[in-house]
Amino acid sequence: MELELYDFYQQAKGKNIIFYYCGPIAHASIEGVAQTLRKNLEYEEAGNLTAQSVFSVFTEQMQNILNYSAERIPKTEAADNELRVGVVVIGHEKNGYFILCGNKVCNDDISGLKDKLELIRGMNKEELKALYKERRRMDSAPESKGAGLGLIEMARKGTEPIEYSFLPIDGEHSFFTIRVVVGR
Amino acid sequence: MQALSIANTQSTPSIYFDQAANVMIMKGESFPENAAKFYAPAMEWLQEYLSTLGTEKAVMQFEIIYFNSSTSKIFMTILDMLQAEVEKGKNISVLWLCDAENETAIECGEEFKEDLNCLSFEIVLV
Repeated sequence: MELELYDFYQQAKGKNIIFYYCGPIAHASIEGVAQTLRKNLEYEEAGNLTAQSVFSVFTEQMQNILNYSAERIPKTEAADNELRVGVVVIGHEKNGYFILCGNKVCNDDISGLKDKLELIRGMNKEELKALYKERRRMDSAPESKGAGLGLIEMARKGTEPIEYSFLPIDGEHSFFTIRVVVGR
Repeated sequence: MQALSIANTQSTPSIYFDQAANVMIMKGESFPENAAKFYAPAMEWLQEYLSTLGTEKAVMQFEIIYFNSSTSKIFMTILDMLQAEVEKGKNISVLWLCDAENETAIECGEEFKEDLNCLSFEIVLV
């Protein structure tokens, strides 16, 4: 069968996946998918705070892909409407949810990302809050579309430390994955 | 000075800044693609407004359902701008409106409040 879609469906079900997005991400897709996700979380009866945390992590992850994925759709050079490719997966985990995102990154950027992630992973909620507040009053890099707060925000919404990995793809790129768990 | 009026979208709030009424309102969702760019007209308007504002009472009202981290930075910048004017003797206050069931919005309001001292910042449950 084409794409072995049934296998894919079964696998996703087996891994408790309730939401999967893979492909080019534009800001418009974030808006659309965010509305869908909100509805889904309502049906899940996740509870307000849990649903809001899942939604928040998801939005930050999608925007991270849009801002930082090394895989761009060519021909759209204009900085504001280019597409970048990545994957976001949401699933059930014990008493809550996991939210995963992945995208290609340049190998040169790995050590900087690792430093940021390790710093965040070593912090408790109070320290994360203090770091978040400190960073939001700092000037951000002029070339950056974001505020550099996304990873801290994800860690604050998570109920376990952020997990991450870099899987080498070739001499230039690796596949970067972030995993956030939000408990109920 | 002309009022600034921007309609909301799925990811950006409506903005209504009115000098005549000394009222500035932002209402809706805020996760724009580029927060700095989206809020640039509002910041520009605000700067000009604050430079002409006397000691009459002015109110900024936020009613934001969800906002992302880059918006948070813009809001902090706006609040710091307002606070700097209060330090100069101006009469500006902030209302942070949120749904009583929106725990995240309430908490976010509290976190802004914690970082301000002389700017009046009131969380109002609606």
